[in-house]
Amino acid sequence: MGNSEIVISDEELDILQEVMNIAFGKASAALAEIIDIYVVLSIPDIRLMKTEEVPGYIEAEINDFKNISVIKQNYTGKFHGSALLFFPGGAGKKLFPLFDSDQAAAPESESLDFVPEKETLLEVGNILIGASVSKVAELLDDEVSYRPPRIIVESRPGDIVDWDLAEPEGPAILMRTVFSFDNRDISGLLFLIPSYKSFEWLKKALHAFLEQYE
Amino acid sequence: MIEKILIVDDSPVSRKIMKSCMPEDKGYEMFEAGDGQSGIDKYQQFKPDLTFMDLTMPVMDGMQALQQIIKIDPKAVVVVCTADVQMKTIFKVMNLGALMVVRKPVSKQAIEDALRKAEDKLKNINE
Repeated sequence: MGNSEIVISDEELDILQEVMNIAFGKASAALAEIIDIYVVLSIPDIRLMKTEEVPGYIEAEINDFKNISVIKQNYTGKFHGSALLFFPGGAGKKLFPLFDSDQAAAPESESLDFVPEKETLLEVGNILIGASVSKVAELLDDEVSYRPPRIIVESRPGDIVDWDLAEPEGPAILMRTVFSFDNRDISGLLFLIPSYKSFEWLKKALHAFLEQYE
Repeated sequence: MIEKILIVDDSPVSRKIMKSCMPEDKGYEMFEAGDGQSGIDKYQQFKPDLTFMDLTMPVMDGMQALQQIIKIDPKAVVVVCTADVQMKTIFKVMNLGALMVVRKPVSKQAIEDALRKAEDKLKNINE
């Protein structure tokens, strides 16, 4: 982990963990409100690592996915960075009928070239990423704006992140959770990767969050 | 009357927030557990009047711990505190015997409401 220990303290990590727990909970509730699905969440995992280690870590995490769909959305504010949502191939096809009750069954195509599946994943990504990032911003007294989400079919996830957000040799914070969609046999991985440039603000904001309860 | 309160939550920050939202003048005896299994153990050991239970926890989640506690003590008063406020989650925990669900991040007002509701429940149990 190198010099990452000096970037954020254990106490700050604990606060961030709780903030992410609330934010990811909000995201699952937001999705469940829109489509009739029960979202099961894993415990948020916060990891500090060197930026150069991020691609390898993400690749290992999605190793079980033969094909992947990636929804990527950048957010800007005092809290700014990238959100990446990974789904296994075919997830769009499974989720599409939930958004369109007129569709008795999704098309047979496994390809993401079929627009409704792609649109479905973009919409799911938009909801999950938007709800989690906005909740973090709200809890930490910030306001964020979003770049349009993009869907990427990419075999090397490490190439997807905007590396200009972080110092190549610097530290990165990865916030990860697993969303499982009950009865749909689909799991997605959501990563929030704040920019190194927002670390200083993030640390202060985390302390301010806890101080309101002291 | 509430004298002993158990907080079951894997996050030390969340437990700290919960405690800070408790009325200071009541002098509650507080106990803490960091996962569902430890929550059951502490429940059996200390017999709290009220338990605040998180849902997403390691070792054993709050849903299972709630189920076990109600099995051990059908009169247990358990308030679920969670950021997961999906309707299905609320129905599930209410069906399992939770008194109510408090949304995270908790507020003093929400905790005071929960304490009031728990006092009423305890009063009914003892009558």
